[in-house]
Amino acid sequence: MNRSLQIRAGLSAVVILLAVYGLLPTFKALSISHAEREAAKANPTRLAEIEDIDAKAIRRGLDLKGGMYLVLEVDQTGMDANQAADALQRVKEILYNRIDKFGVSEPEITTFGSSRIVVKLPGLQDPERAKALLGKTARLEFRLVRQPEDLADAVAVLDKAFAGDMAAAPVPAPGDTTFVPDQEQFLRDHPFTGLIVSQPGVTSTPLFVAEDNVERVQAMLDDPRTAARLRGMEFQMGMDPMNFGGTTPMRPLYLVDTQPIISGDQLTDALSSADNERPGLWQVNFTLNNRGAREFARATGENVGRFLAISLDGRISSAPVIQSRISNTGSISGNFSNAEASDLALLLRAGALPTDITIAEERTVGPSLGADSIRMGVNASLWGSLLVIVFMIIYYRASGVIAVVALVANIMILLAVLAQFDLVLTLPGLAGIALTVGMAVDANVLINERIREELRKDKTIRASVQAGYSNATRTIVDSNLTTLIAGGVLLWFGTGPIKGFAVTLCIGILTSMFTALIVTHVIMDLVTRNQGKQKLSI
Amino acid sequence: MQFFRNANFNFTGAMKVCFTLSGILVVLSLVLMLIHGGPRLSIDFTGGSVLQVKFAPAPGITEVRRALETKGIVGAQVTAFGGTDEFLITVPSPKGASGEQAADTAQALLSDLRGAFPGNEVELRRVESVGPKIGSELRTAALNSIVAGLFLIVIYVWFRFVLRYGLAAILALVHDVILTLGVFSLMDMEISLQIVAALLTIVGYSINDTIVVFDRIRENMKLRRRESYREVINRSINETLSRTVLTSATTFAVAAVLWAMGGPVIRDFAFALCFGVLVGTYSSIFIASPMLVWWYERQTIDKKRAAPEM
Repeated sequence: MNRSLQIRAGLSAVVILLAVYGLLPTFKALSISHAEREAAKANPTRLAEIEDIDAKAIRRGLDLKGGMYLVLEVDQTGMDANQAADALQRVKEILYNRIDKFGVSEPEITTFGSSRIVVKLPGLQDPERAKALLGKTARLEFRLVRQPEDLADAVAVLDKAFAGDMAAAPVPAPGDTTFVPDQEQFLRDHPFTGLIVSQPGVTSTPLFVAEDNVERVQAMLDDPRTAARLRGMEFQMGMDPMNFGGTTPMRPLYLVDTQPIISGDQLTDALSSADNERPGLWQVNFTLNNRGAREFARATGENVGRFLAISLDGRISSAPVIQSRISNTGSISGNFSNAEASDLALLLRAGALPTDITIAEERTVGPSLGADSIRMGVNASLWGSLLVIVFMIIYYRASGVIAVVALVANIMILLAVLAQFDLVLTLPGLAGIALTVGMAVDANVLINERIREELRKDKTIRASVQAGYSNATRTIVDSNLTTLIAGGVLLWFGTGPIKGFAVTLCIGILTSMFTALIVTHVIMDLVTRNQGKQKLSI
Repeated sequence: MQFFRNANFNFTGAMKVCFTLSGILVVLSLVLMLIHGGPRLSIDFTGGSVLQVKFAPAPGITEVRRALETKGIVGAQVTAFGGTDEFLITVPSPKGASGEQAADTAQALLSDLRGAFPGNEVELRRVESVGPKIGSELRTAALNSIVAGLFLIVIYVWFRFVLRYGLAAILALVHDVILTLGVFSLMDMEISLQIVAALLTIVGYSINDTIVVFDRIRENMKLRRRESYREVINRSINETLSRTVLTSATTFAVAAVLWAMGGPVIRDFAFALCFGVLVGTYSSIFIASPMLVWWYERQTIDKKRAAPEM
């Protein structure tokens, strides 16, 4: 064996052995049954072992594992570059906090560009709940409710502001109330009054809005004119509609101070508990820090007898009467279910986002579809490979077997690279592997066709093999590099699953070049080393 | 065993027929796309939501459509997906909606479905919601990536061969992409992110095929100086024919198996690959290399014509 062959043979052996070693955890992870995993949950050492194996195995993408992919857009209006960057980081930290407390394993939260955050949550059981948890700003504020005389003024101010505004033309509010003016002229002059209903028999707070009119009223409240005219106070609607047994549910509307007494950042803890006064409903109990407690005690002490609105993201969950001075603890009640209350407590503990966020993109795959995809994807890849293998052996016989060995080595190295570099295998990624199989044959075909050509020129076997490889190498490198360019562009452009495809395609091109040019060459050299061999099976 | 031993087909002779045929197909594809108002873009690019829902037991597709209509959902498209119990419901995003609204639409649609079919179990298998802003960004990125891919390939081929080869290759690639888009238009299939990935893969595959022939042309140009340009190119195509067909066959076989067995999620993707392999192989043999001949002969004729006048 000459020196060059020794080196190449050694290199091939080392790479293949490394690949096998790198794939061991993946095989182990595959061999752990679902029942075994369930059983391990009770056994911390075994669980840690399994987690360790999983961490080293090939990572499956969300489309194969099931899970949620979200792109969140952070509202940065009115911020300078520093504030915007700061807000982005803050949002990311708080979201991480929330997810962490929600208990999703292996969450991934990364910033993307200057205003977006990408959240990946694998193996999610309740995507809707997770989405609600992530999307909420969770701004908690305690605000004093204004007195009835302010209320009458505020309604009049808004009526005047929107008088004659056709866009706000109201629909007479349905309901069993006496205060439903229906003369057209009156409505035109009093567009705000026309949309609200005062509590039957009571002239004090709150007002009510029929559920059908909630959007119109919200539009008026969001109008910049409203904030400009109502100095120091603002209207906020209730979180849930109330049902008085009438035809439509009613939404309470409170007039509150713009300046909150304290806000959620003064909380030290929040926990959910069953609401003793209202069976079946839940509440959130909170504790304030020292500064918050001082502020809260002062404000509540000064305003005994008035209403205190608890506002969450601009909607009021409840507005109880201040019975006495409150210092460092309190509770928030609303129509909360157990899950809602515990999620709210979680949100409050994790803190409010500094700004609003919106879900700009969502891709969720249920666990059952993930399982189907992986089964079908793996099956298709296996059958496709088998087809190619059979074909190669029939067409090239013994040399075909060498090509098949190279093919298997190629797939193993490709998978080992995925596992080792912690790359994600997606469904299009599986397709990429299958396609690599189809295209990896190409290099072997090029080489074998060349060798056949050389043999036809009556060269010796050894000379033909050498000439075949050296002539084919340039072609293989040129043609694969151009494909690699296309793959590279895909890698640069692609997001999510597409990236997974590009990754396997690119790695596949590189590994197939290695196996075709180095591994098969070694085997060929070894097979034809015996000079006496007269016939090459090709 | 060997296909095409000592093949000697007159590929360059069929040049005019092939150019005409391809020209017609390209024009047809463009016309088809024009009639349909451009390629049919999926919600990845237009914004909107796609829900894949599985029913047990399954209602008929018309019942699902009617249920959505009665719930007042406008513009929803319902198609059967995979088996008979799964449906794909596509809703475009309302004008000026943010992504969150798209996500909310999807959620509302699901609860509407559950409300309309109280006796059936409705499983949400997949949701994809894209806001219009991200949609238009993805559209730009997809277009850029295809253009950038083609551009980089021209540069590489120019660098490794000469510019003429690069231009011939790119013409063949554009031909492949347009025909694939045309077939998608013809079958009224959507262009999604996945399909853009397939298009780039087709480009990568087709250029691979083309380069193998070019490489042989370059080699034969040195070895066979006494043969005419046309003869050398025809010989090169023939010499690599067995390899071209073999590789195409195995790649096509794999793509076809993916199409048949890979499941509905990647069926369109696999379809694009199948078609792309065929058209990519055709263009490497009948378009890219003959284009070199056509070009060369035109130039020499021009020179001959020009010579006496000098």
